[in-house]
Formats: sequence, C-alpha cells, structure tokens
Amino acid sequence: MIPEAMDIAVGDRIPGWTMATVDPARMKTMAALLRDPYSVHWDRAGNEAIGLGPRVINQGPLNVGYIANMLMAWAGPSTIRRLTLSFAGRVLDGDTVTAHGVVTSIESVAEAAIISCDVWLERDGVRLVTGTAVIETPAVQNPADSSRRLQGHQDRAIAAVPDDRPA
Amino acid sequence: MTPTDVEVVELIGRRFTGGRYRIAHWENWLLTDCTGRDQLPDRLVHPIALFHVPILGSGTSIAELFAWCGAEGAGSVSLLGYDWEYFEPLVEDVEYRCEGGIVSAERAMSSAGNLSDTIAFSIELFDGERLAARITNRWRFHRSGS
Repeated sequence: MIPEAMDIAVGDRIPGWTMATVDPARMKTMAALLRDPYSVHWDRAGNEAIGLGPRVINQGPLNVGYIANMLMAWAGPSTIRRLTLSFAGRVLDGDTVTAHGVVTSIESVAEAAIISCDVWLERDGVRLVTGTAVIETPAVQNPADSSRRLQGHQDRAIAAVPDDRPA
Repeated sequence: MTPTDVEVVELIGRRFTGGRYRIAHWENWLLTDCTGRDQLPDRLVHPIALFHVPILGSGTSIAELFAWCGAEGAGSVSLLGYDWEYFEPLVEDVEYRCEGGIVSAERAMSSAGNLSDTIAFSIELFDGERLAARITNRWRFHRSGS
C-alpha cells in the first residue's frame, strides 16, 4: 500500500523488507551486469584461500537494493530522491537480512512532501548498512491544505520519535 | 604495488573520459530481479542502477578504477559509503550523458599500523541538459606495503 503523505508522521516505522536468503547466483549475475572483476563476489574457494571464509560477499549495490525495495514498497516506485549510506559489515551468501526505516522529518514543498528517514539493513540485530533516505511524495489531495495537515502530523509525532535509531 | 603519497594526492581531480549510457530493458530486468523484487512499472529503472551506470557511462570501469587506485587484489578494497541523488526517476532506453572524476583521496594509518587510502569519485548524469542524478562513492584501498 502506498501511503499518502498526510498519513505519515515523524517516528513512523517503515514496514521492513526481508531478503530471506542472499543468493550467490544473483551475485554472479550482478558481477556480470556491473562488469565487476572483484572475485570476492563469486569465488568461494578464492575467498577461503585468502582468509575471507567459505562464502562470497554480496555486492554493496545489492545491499542498497534491499533498502530501496523497502522504500519503494512503502512510498511508491519513483519516490526516492536521495540515499546516503555507510557500510559497516559484510553481507554473505546464505544470510537473511532485513531493511528497516523510520521517518525523521516531513517537509511540505509546493504540492509535495519531502520525507527524510533513517534507514538500515540488519542481520540478527546487527546493522550492516546505515544511513538516510529522502523520499518525495504527493502531499495531499488538496495542496492548499497541505502545510497545515503536515504540520499537524509533525506536532502529534513529537512524542513518537523512537529511541532505536541507527548510530 | 602501493602508490606513493604523491601518487595518491595526484588522483584528486583526475577526470573520466565521459560518455553516454542507455539502460536496456533486459539489463534493468536482470538488475531488478537480482534485488529480489518484482519488476517496476512504466520502464522505471531500479535505483541501484546508480552504481554501474555512472561508472560505465563515464567511460571507466571498476577494473580501471581499481587500477588507477592501485588495488592489491581480492579482499583489499572496502566500500565505505554511497551518496546517490535522484533529481528525476531513471528510465529505460534514455541516453544519459555521464561526467565525473575523482574528488578526494586521503591516506591514513590506523592505530594498528595498517595503511589505507580512502578515495571518492563523483559522477553526474544528464538527460539532455537536465541533471538527472549525481553520485559520490567512497572506497577504501587497504595497502600491504608501508
């Protein structure tokens, strides 16, 4: 379901998006698409030989992709305006990872709402990718009313800011 | 071979050749499929195309970037971060002009005595004269020699 901005408030949790099993075959396809010669993404034996363990390492863009999929499932497929992300740990083949997010601010601009979010990707409670995202959505059906409605949401959301944001 | 301090600094300002890139339907289909979600509507390109499209479109490649920066093989390069800005949604079969280069390069020694270079490159994508997207990626190159 695509939420209208008027239904979004600071502190709202974005529904999580889970990749149940990170698939090494997809990494091979990605390596070909990216023309990526870095063997850590497709050579398990090579990784083991250099001490990286017996699994291959997911490409950074795929980890970003899970966060993007969460945002698109929530806000719509053409709403992402910015992704600013840092990588803190490796995602390996066979992992289960889930993308999470929380709304941190809402700004009304013309007929749009600019929604800022903290986002992260985690495995077993450990955050492997953290950062922020900016989403742009249509504000309300009646643009003349948008500032008041969004402000109202910001006001009532003050007490709802979660205490588990990414570091 | 580990680049010298001077060679690392000299990377700053180095420009890519520049060029154009058109995202084909098949390519977008596979890219989207790799992320584990359904295909996007209206020829929309999956947002992670902002990894390889700017690199290849600007006339370089991951292999060339690794060579410029003196990557020392598997396990010697880490991703630090991406900053990707979308000024308009990317779509299939549009020719994007791509321009960019290396914007920063910093050498550091960890408290454990490990040498590394953090290198960032930035690339802009234009749809005609309109700025469609901009990326800045930061990679860390771990050095065996010091």
